[in-house]
Amino acid sequence: MLSCSSHSSRATLSAFSHFLPTTSPYFNFSSLSPKTFSPTPLNFGWRAATAPKPRMASTFPARASAQPLQNADELIDSVETFIFDCDGVIWKGDSLIDGVPETLDMLRSRGKRLVFVTNNSTKSRKQYGKKFETLGLSVSEEEIFASSFAAAAYLKSINFPKDKKVYVIGEDGILKELELAGFEYLGGPEDGGKKIELKPGFLMEHDENVGAVVVGFDRYFNYYKIQYGTLCIRENPGCLFIATNRDAVTHLTDAQEWAGGGSMVGALAGSTQREPLVVGKPSTFMMDYLANKFGILKSQICMVGDRLDTDILFGQNGGCKTLLVLSGVTSLSMLQSPNNSIQPDFYTSKISDFLSLKAATV
Amino acid sequence: MNANGEAAKAAPELLSPQNARLLLDSTEAFLFDCDGVIWKGDKLIDGVSETLDLLRSKGKKLVFVTNNSSKSRRQYAEKFNSLGIAVSEDEIFSSSFAAAMFLKVNDFPQEKKVYVIGGEGILEELQLAGFTGLGGPEDGKKTVELKSNCFFEHDKSVGAVVVGIDPYINYYKLQYGTLCIRENPGCLFIATNLDAVGHMTDLQEWPGAGCMVGAISSSTEKKPMVVGKPSTFMMDFLLQKYHINTSKMCMVGDRLDTDILFGQNAGCKTLLVLSGVTTQAILQDPSNKIQPDYYTSKLSDFLRIL
Repeated sequence: MLSCSSHSSRATLSAFSHFLPTTSPYFNFSSLSPKTFSPTPLNFGWRAATAPKPRMASTFPARASAQPLQNADELIDSVETFIFDCDGVIWKGDSLIDGVPETLDMLRSRGKRLVFVTNNSTKSRKQYGKKFETLGLSVSEEEIFASSFAAAAYLKSINFPKDKKVYVIGEDGILKELELAGFEYLGGPEDGGKKIELKPGFLMEHDENVGAVVVGFDRYFNYYKIQYGTLCIRENPGCLFIATNRDAVTHLTDAQEWAGGGSMVGALAGSTQREPLVVGKPSTFMMDYLANKFGILKSQICMVGDRLDTDILFGQNGGCKTLLVLSGVTSLSMLQSPNNSIQPDFYTSKISDFLSLKAATV
Repeated sequence: MNANGEAAKAAPELLSPQNARLLLDSTEAFLFDCDGVIWKGDKLIDGVSETLDLLRSKGKKLVFVTNNSSKSRRQYAEKFNSLGIAVSEDEIFSSSFAAAMFLKVNDFPQEKKVYVIGGEGILEELQLAGFTGLGGPEDGKKTVELKSNCFFEHDKSVGAVVVGIDPYINYYKLQYGTLCIRENPGCLFIATNLDAVGHMTDLQEWPGAGCMVGAISSSTEKKPMVVGKPSTFMMDFLLQKYHINTSKMCMVGDRLDTDILFGQNAGCKTLLVLSGVTTQAILQDPSNKIQPDYYTSKLSDFLRIL
């Protein structure tokens, strides 16, 4: 589980100075204890390695347990905007979840603003717009905030110089968003075909003008890209290390879990011994961005998601109401497990429950 | 005492004619890291051959302890020989060997398999220890199809995933290792080492096992068992062969958080050489908490000093 610290990381941030970088889930690795030597903790002096601890009831005022959603109307009337995660809430892989179109229509007819925030960086907002359309949902590009968009928006917000380049370890979505924002990029899926030969006299060159490395989910991940990104971060002065998200696993197909963007980010954090700035959930960057853009109060928002350590934490960090749906990666037993310290305000099986759960008629 | 009430460790001494003689007289075995100490990639560092000869001529035992798991002990012996240095297999303790030994001392069942994200060296050591390895460099050629009718299978009898430096890392291996650790009950997650970068070639540093391990740690949300330096696991095997008190050993390495820490953890003397990943600036930076007993620019300084 990821936790967030609440200090502003950079003096150069303009409108988003309270954007929260995610602290590292990077650990103290335990050493082995062979018979003759007692265990010695590994101490990497220059790496901030803190393992997040589950919250104890005795040290924090315990947040009330999540309530099953009973009065949907009350929740709907109490907010102005609904933010939806996509995977596990709207769709699973390429299949729409039951009752979604009717639910979204109902909310719109009641004057609610709908926003879609996804950590999946493989597509751009425009490409997601097409996916919604293919599934028969009318959602416009401006209502979609993918972490690919967030990376470009972040660079814009800090006035990333246009003469600097961005090295991308990730997919097409990130490239498209960077291009739209007017930034020059290198890398992306093409570098998946590049090979290296570790032999004497071989030197990998890298562009000294790269001022940021953006890392997200990358099915074409390879050693060339890791080295290129590592060289930029370690050797180009002031080079930023930005992660679209750190999800451990993700439902890229509806049948099983797949290693997520967190693994590519973990690889670069391992080789550079640096922690990235995270723009995706649970960092509140996207929340701050859209609240600013639409002029909405966070207390007027309800975040709806299927994952506790990204969606729900994102909502809580942002000061919104939170609703967990059990149509994705989280089951009721996971929510109620003693190991879980993240309690949304409400939970329900899927979003179409909004249609069926009505206040008792008198 | 320092501000924390701990006995402050003395600053490292630069190797000199006086202290080198003392060091030599009080040391029976020299333990050498390889990358950045003996060689850089496939190129021998100047004067290493002559220095090792000198130390052997003075009756010192020479042992090589490396975190680089890409080769087996036998393959390392071959590398030494091809560089003109006579070293036998059993003088070498590689993290590939350590991974296989860890499974052996923990009675890893032989009917279980081991998935390897790493080099040939790990596969060879596993085979020598009687275990069945899957994966390794071959899986570097495999691709993944992310389509709704394509299911990614994995062997349910994999009982351990061993992760080391892997220049052939790809999404297939990340996914395979992730599924084994997350879905096979009791599956072990073993890291040969955590080195962030290393001199895989003579001209620059390259991402090390710390990178691959970081990837799998993130997707599984688990910590690995680390068998390489600075864990003192390999020392146990070293002591089985050399019955020498560790206080009469000197660990020579180029990396503070692995080599020097390993030496300190095991009770050896420690000598840092600046011919690898660590510079004098890093050693003397206030944020550095690891102080070796001695430091010098390179191994061949022994020739000049003695």
